[in-house]
Amino acid sequence: MRALRQALLIFLAALVPAGLTAAFHPRRPAWSEDTLLPGEEKLQTVLAWGSGVLWIDARSSKEYEAEHVPGAILLNLEDWEQLFPRFLDQWHPEEKVVVYCSSTACELSHEVAERLKANGISPVYVLKGGWEAWKNRK
Amino acid sequence: MEEQKVISTSRRTRWPDLVRLGFVLVRVTLGALFVLAGATKAYDPGAFAIEIQRYQLVPWILAALISVYLPWLEMLSGALLLLKRFERGALLLTTLLLVIFTLALASAMFRGLSIDCGCFGKAFTATGTTVPLLRNLLLLLFTGVLWMESR
Repeated sequence: MRALRQALLIFLAALVPAGLTAAFHPRRPAWSEDTLLPGEEKLQTVLAWGSGVLWIDARSSKEYEAEHVPGAILLNLEDWEQLFPRFLDQWHPEEKVVVYCSSTACELSHEVAERLKANGISPVYVLKGGWEAWKNRK
Repeated sequence: MEEQKVISTSRRTRWPDLVRLGFVLVRVTLGALFVLAGATKAYDPGAFAIEIQRYQLVPWILAALISVYLPWLEMLSGALLLLKRFERGALLLTTLLLVIFTLALASAMFRGLSIDCGCFGKAFTATGTTVPLLRNLLLLLFTGVLWMESR
């Protein structure tokens, strides 16, 4: 019983810093899944851009081969050294680069986008919801 | 008063010195790991929420709430274990958390999810799920040792 009582107190005590984190932490999570993280764009926005978009698939080559956004180029961190030169061959500076991975839960698209930016590629965006969003588009 | 003195003396002498040193080492390891795990997650709750979401076990809003709360619960429990304050409560929470983490890792393995553990936020990535699962089992053993000590 003592253990339970103490655990409950600790449980409650942790609510205080957690509440402050939720309200003020600069890296707190977005509360809605629809909230865009920095650098992200919704599918509707990207589709509204029309042509002039270069799609980048940041997933594994196996997933890419199974299915991908039409015209998308494979560029993942695993095979970066081989794939990046191929990307450069197809990239035009006036194009908007949009990177996607499997879903909201994956972070590969953000990592690839960061690496592209570090290599001087701009502008680079991440597709919110990734391949899942593309597949579920209406 | 006399009886209390006898009980407290018998508690002190119940375990040989070497075993008691082992208890201290186990407590410090477990407490320090929980403080470290909590601190690395508390640094970037947004990234931790994404790590939770990768397990595909809870909706996003719950992942976001867990990401701001869990790190503090871990840090608090770990710190109290280290300080030997609210010891049984802290031990109960660390045991429960380890059971939950282990089940989540096992379920990710079972479903063939290719994800990182996320146990230490983004501080140690590319850890997969097998090594953290084995580490959790070892830590659960540690909690068993501490329960034995606190009896």
